[in-house]
Amino acid sequence: MSFNVEEGRYIILGSVDGLLATLGIVIGVSVVSATTSIVISAGLGGAIALALTNGIGSYLAESTIEHGKRIKTEKSLLRKLSNTYIETLSRKRIVKDSLTHGGASFFASLIPLAPWLLGVGSVFASVALSLIALVVLGVYAGNISKQNYVMSVAKMVGLGMLIVVTEQLLKFFHLT
Amino acid sequence: MSQIKRLVLDVLKPHEPTNVEVASAIGDLQDVDGVNLSLYEVDQQTENVKITVEGTNVNYHLVLQTIEDLGGVVHSVDEIIAGKKIVEEEETLHDRG
Repeated sequence: MSFNVEEGRYIILGSVDGLLATLGIVIGVSVVSATTSIVISAGLGGAIALALTNGIGSYLAESTIEHGKRIKTEKSLLRKLSNTYIETLSRKRIVKDSLTHGGASFFASLIPLAPWLLGVGSVFASVALSLIALVVLGVYAGNISKQNYVMSVAKMVGLGMLIVVTEQLLKFFHLT
Repeated sequence: MSQIKRLVLDVLKPHEPTNVEVASAIGDLQDVDGVNLSLYEVDQQTENVKITVEGTNVNYHLVLQTIEDLGGVVHSVDEIIAGKKIVEEEETLHDRG
């Protein structure tokens, strides 16, 4: 399976979603209970819910956009495009985008959960692994956008740090 | 029915599939020796192309079906050469004027 720039969008969207939302869950739940099984259950529940909502959300959004595009083209061509190669291509693209978005979200969710799944059970390890993943994602995003890698990595890591700091503030004010 | 040796079609097609894909799909058809696809006009949603198909026995309906399956519309058949030998269009006095 080759990924083009369009799929790159969903890889970044899904990965950032999965990484940061699950990291937030891990930090939040570990404050309430340090029990590994509870953190894993909450994290996996969140990961699956995110993967499904992202996948289904993409499917619905892409179906709407593709249908709109097809109607526009049909008007220009003065013919229906159902049962053509264009419809097959469009259906394939919708499924590929949905799987990419949902899949990226799920696999990225496993990164902050990995220390807990491996029995290490440390929030610090979850944060460290997530930041490393964000650096990799930043390089990938820089490569796609043909922009400065340092800026791209800084944006990604900054976003990760924002989540960690927000969670810590919530903890400080006893809101989690 | 004599065999079609050359077909020149005026086709309106969407941007996708690309012209390369369309030309190669027609080129893959049985008894087609070669295809020329020239781009004439590009609009926001569509492209106007001239497709020249040559072969020993070009199946017009199959070419038409392939173009339609790829989302194109044949506006007109601009030239057909059929028979035992290729006969080129002759210039008449009217053309010279």
